[in-house]
Amino acid sequence: MVRDLYMFFKGDEKAHVVWFSIIYKTDMRAEANINSELNEMEVKIRFAYLDNAEPNGQGKYVLFTEVREEAQIDMINKRLLGIDGIIDIESGISRSHMIHSVDFPLNFLGERALITRSRTFVDILKIIREKVIQPDALLLFSGLKGGRGAAKYVRNIIQVDMKNCMAVLRELFLASGWGKLEMDFNKETCTGKVVVRESFIADAYGPSDLPVCGYMSGFIAGYMTEVMGYTFQVREISCKSMGNAVCEHVISPAPEGAKPEHIMKEEIQ
Amino acid sequence: MIRQPNVILGNDKILVTMGKKGELFGFFYPRRDYAQHVEESLVCLQTDNRLMWTNNQEWYSTQHYLEDTNMVITELVHGIGIKIKIQDFAHPRASVMVRKYTISAERDISGTFFYYSNFCVGEMQKKNSAFCDPDTGLLAQYWQDNYIGIMASPSFEQWQVGKAMDTIWWTNARYDMEDGKLHNNKEDIGYLNTVVGWDLKIKAGQSKEITVFIGAAPKRTQLHKMMLEIVKEPVNEMFETSRQDWINWLSKKELLKLSLLDDMPETKQQVLEAFNRCLLTLNLLNDPKHGSFVAAPEFDHDFEMCGGYGYCWNRDVSEVAVALLNAGYPEYCEKFFNWCRRTQLSDGSWFQRYWLDGNTAPSWGNFDHSTQIDETGATLHAMYTFYGTLRGLQKVEFLENIWTTVLTGAEYLMRRTTEGLHDPCLDLWESYAGSFAYTSAAVYAGLRAAAFLARAYSEPGLASRWLERAEFVKNKTIEKMWLKEGYFAKCLDDGKLNTTADASMIGTFTPFNMLSPTDPEEREMILSMMKTIEDRLSVSVNGYHGIKRYENDGYIEGNPWIVTTLWLSKAMLNLAISFRNGSVTNTDVPGLVQRALNYIKWALKGTTSTGMLPEQVDKHRGHPAWAIPLGWSCALMIDNILLLESFSEGTHDGKI
Repeated sequence: MVRDLYMFFKGDEKAHVVWFSIIYKTDMRAEANINSELNEMEVKIRFAYLDNAEPNGQGKYVLFTEVREEAQIDMINKRLLGIDGIIDIESGISRSHMIHSVDFPLNFLGERALITRSRTFVDILKIIREKVIQPDALLLFSGLKGGRGAAKYVRNIIQVDMKNCMAVLRELFLASGWGKLEMDFNKETCTGKVVVRESFIADAYGPSDLPVCGYMSGFIAGYMTEVMGYTFQVREISCKSMGNAVCEHVISPAPEGAKPEHIMKEEIQ
Repeated sequence: MIRQPNVILGNDKILVTMGKKGELFGFFYPRRDYAQHVEESLVCLQTDNRLMWTNNQEWYSTQHYLEDTNMVITELVHGIGIKIKIQDFAHPRASVMVRKYTISAERDISGTFFYYSNFCVGEMQKKNSAFCDPDTGLLAQYWQDNYIGIMASPSFEQWQVGKAMDTIWWTNARYDMEDGKLHNNKEDIGYLNTVVGWDLKIKAGQSKEITVFIGAAPKRTQLHKMMLEIVKEPVNEMFETSRQDWINWLSKKELLKLSLLDDMPETKQQVLEAFNRCLLTLNLLNDPKHGSFVAAPEFDHDFEMCGGYGYCWNRDVSEVAVALLNAGYPEYCEKFFNWCRRTQLSDGSWFQRYWLDGNTAPSWGNFDHSTQIDETGATLHAMYTFYGTLRGLQKVEFLENIWTTVLTGAEYLMRRTTEGLHDPCLDLWESYAGSFAYTSAAVYAGLRAAAFLARAYSEPGLASRWLERAEFVKNKTIEKMWLKEGYFAKCLDDGKLNTTADASMIGTFTPFNMLSPTDPEEREMILSMMKTIEDRLSVSVNGYHGIKRYENDGYIEGNPWIVTTLWLSKAMLNLAISFRNGSVTNTDVPGLVQRALNYIKWALKGTTSTGMLPEQVDKHRGHPAWAIPLGWSCALMIDNILLLESFSEGTHDGKI
């Protein structure tokens, strides 16, 4: 179900704002055919988004448009349903003239997702830091689990390997709104650096004496470990919250025997 | 984290709580209340490139006690054709839990059998230390004078001592298990987790046995020595010795005929099993060294949703000790009252609750206005009950031993009842402040008990004084708190009556006998209270009715409680006995007994799959709820069954 949320539409006030949520098979070029059909019907798309990563080889195309007559909606539904590869269509009228940018329930990487302000996330993070023993480890573990899960999910959809894993990671960060990644990774030595610009954690956290994006370090470590089949250590060595321009995470193979918390402290200094 | 067990086991040195799938929830050593050393401890299989944690929902489990013992059989079945049978029991002599695993498969299995643990030795997540000694096959974790060790037969082949929560995540034992091969890190410090492993190769239709021993000791050398000795003993001999020990202990109980239930063989069997289970449970809740009992094995260590249960309350244990006495185990009374002698406060009262060693426990009853006066009354009442069963020299010695305790206890009650009604304090539910019928009845019973002991101690002056006060307390309670509607008000606070119906009002009859069924007026009061309780506090669950504590009870969903329900049934049985023995005619004795039996059946339907009696029964789903097992519930069940038995004795017609 598409819910009214977010953007108010200021188009033709006499027209209805209508949404269509179209479920289709991803392997039959249905997306292109939907657009052609809409063009033929002279349906002007005001806002739309695609999600090609729905489970079971399905995609979802959500679009908002204007319709003068309610009767047109049935006609559009009928013609869209006639396209090869279309599985189901839902539609409705946005009575408040609102266009929303996400679906409800929102899905991301195959799971139920939600939108939260980064402030909310950071509030939770700060409480964990205040109340829990080993908070850095807890946050790293949380990120690690997320990173591994994300890698597993993405690998089910597209091939992810040494060549494209960093590019995919960059897209994941962008899609999640976490930050912009720049990466320098040596495939021979499995070492490198990830720079995160506009980290949502660091931006919302405020000044800190220590790096605060351990959750992201964990996510990157989990993702890399799952993709490469090799255990990675990722440590944030500088953070925007510490007054730096960007956040930097160092990637290296997990050391044998050494106590890396000591290494980490050295690097911070 | 709150985790309610399905089963418990132990011996005189350890107490273990477990979930339905054989996962450890608690490992208590050296006392039943402290320290709890386990966060997690369970088996995980690694096969087909994945970990199969045995507490996962993919496993179907059944669990039961070996008959007449505190030894547990858990069977786990996985859809891919793997079956694990676990025989869990405490070693007959040592502070060691024995976990014998038999793994069988319907198809060829190749992988690793892991025994994973996250110990917080000494209840400490930090500053623990662990090491593995591969030469002896011992993996141990310790903090101060608490050592927990794991050995196995056959000895484990690989291990990992890892950081449970640290940025060096790859040393974490859970992650290390994923590929089926462990790093064999020998030692580490901090917040740790550990795992030991065996190669697991089973042909279809075959099985493999692995026995894990979890031991506890105060010193490293003691742990080593004990574990090395235990691992050499044949497991089957340990098993058989342990089984025989439990059967021997249980053979001391009162023998029951329960001919009253001959026409209901299934019910009779359930009641007989419940009697045994309650006795065996109370054995495990008792601290054999100090004589006290935990109310229940602690499951809310952080007081997340309540104040915890892993402590000794005099109120509960007074009923527990007397139930054990009546069931054929007088030794618990003697030890408990010695403990009471030691723990009595200087003003003559007892504290809200104690650690088992007698130290005062975390409390919200530190002041005169927040103490619970009923606990002092209940303790004196139980002391006199025990005294009444003694003979000869034992009787004299006990009185000599306990007299000062009784004297100071009674004088405390005198000071708190100068106006007849007791001074404001907290009620037995530890929630309301004011004066209460239940507390008054406990005071009445305590003062009378003290008076009878005073007479025996040749102190007739004190006896008269205390008896006179007891009557004053009774008269004032009836005068001030009995409502024209026919029941006691819940509370009198600052001159205002709270007319909420509270099941604890039945305490004025049982266990404290402030109201007598032989007095016609008081008999009517008892019947009227019962009616009020049934009319206003009855909750339909599991096809029968349970009794909740009071109207608008908000504690843990306001579920019906086993204790309140079995109080009512006990009152009914006591009343029936009184009618049967007395001169009252045309009274429906069989009807009363049948109603009581229905409440007992309700309680039995609310147990765990292993027969553990909880504190409450979930009013929506009928499941056991909150504290499991609760010693107080067990005591009331024993009391009820012994009363049922009284209908089977002698020449009386046993049929309902």
